[in-house]
Amino acid sequence: MMVEGGKIHTGIVNVHTTSNRGFTPEEVAARCLDRIVKVSESAPPAIRDQALAYKDSLRQVLTHYMREAIQSDRTTVYNALLDAGQKELAETIRRL
Amino acid sequence: MAFSGNFMCTSFKKELLEGVHNFKNSGGNTFKLAMYTNSASFTAATTAYTTSNEISGTGYTAGGGTLTRVDPTTSSTTAFTDFADLTFSSSSLTARGALIYNDSASGDPTVVVLDFGADKTSSSGDFTIVFPTADASNAIIRIA
Repeated sequence: MMVEGGKIHTGIVNVHTTSNRGFTPEEVAARCLDRIVKVSESAPPAIRDQALAYKDSLRQVLTHYMREAIQSDRTTVYNALLDAGQKELAETIRRL
Repeated sequence: MAFSGNFMCTSFKKELLEGVHNFKNSGGNTFKLAMYTNSASFTAATTAYTTSNEISGTGYTAGGGTLTRVDPTTSSTTAFTDFADLTFSSSSLTARGALIYNDSASGDPTVVVLDFGADKTSSSGDFTIVFPTADASNAIIRIA
């Protein structure tokens, strides 16, 4: 008996870039969500709608905690700069 | 020459059968992604990482960035593996495509050639390569 199959494929990558800034929490959360929640185009409408609603609620939680992580990291950087005697620079970071 | 789509290097297919590459998250090989200008001349016959036409710029060092492996898995009859997105932070660079290669194996053998479709540029910003959904239809490396 012959068995069909055994093909090897490569996927397509996307490239996201920024100029004069980093990615916002919303942009990163969108990429993160695409990895966590996959909604099939062929899913029954009721299930798809529920999945998309869940995805959106996750988006808000992710964005909130990403902002919190950023602020917390700035506190760490602020203190590192203070310890290094860079009071002005530390203050600039704190005000970001 | 120029980039002309995504393709898997023929040598990689052979090396899979020889057990050269290990994509497991724990204990696997180190895979890197190097980026190139559109002057690069990759074909399916490309066998190893090269510095020829590799980009240079702030936030990028020759050889490229190290990829974070995701354990290979299966869905129905398809096996696939994935990498975490890779970001070159605080960078100023332009690239047209990339090469994934095995930095652990002797001779830095190639895995896949990736065409970005156009020059992509970061300017005092972030340059992120976003890998496709890790499933049987889209994952970066799939064996059906």
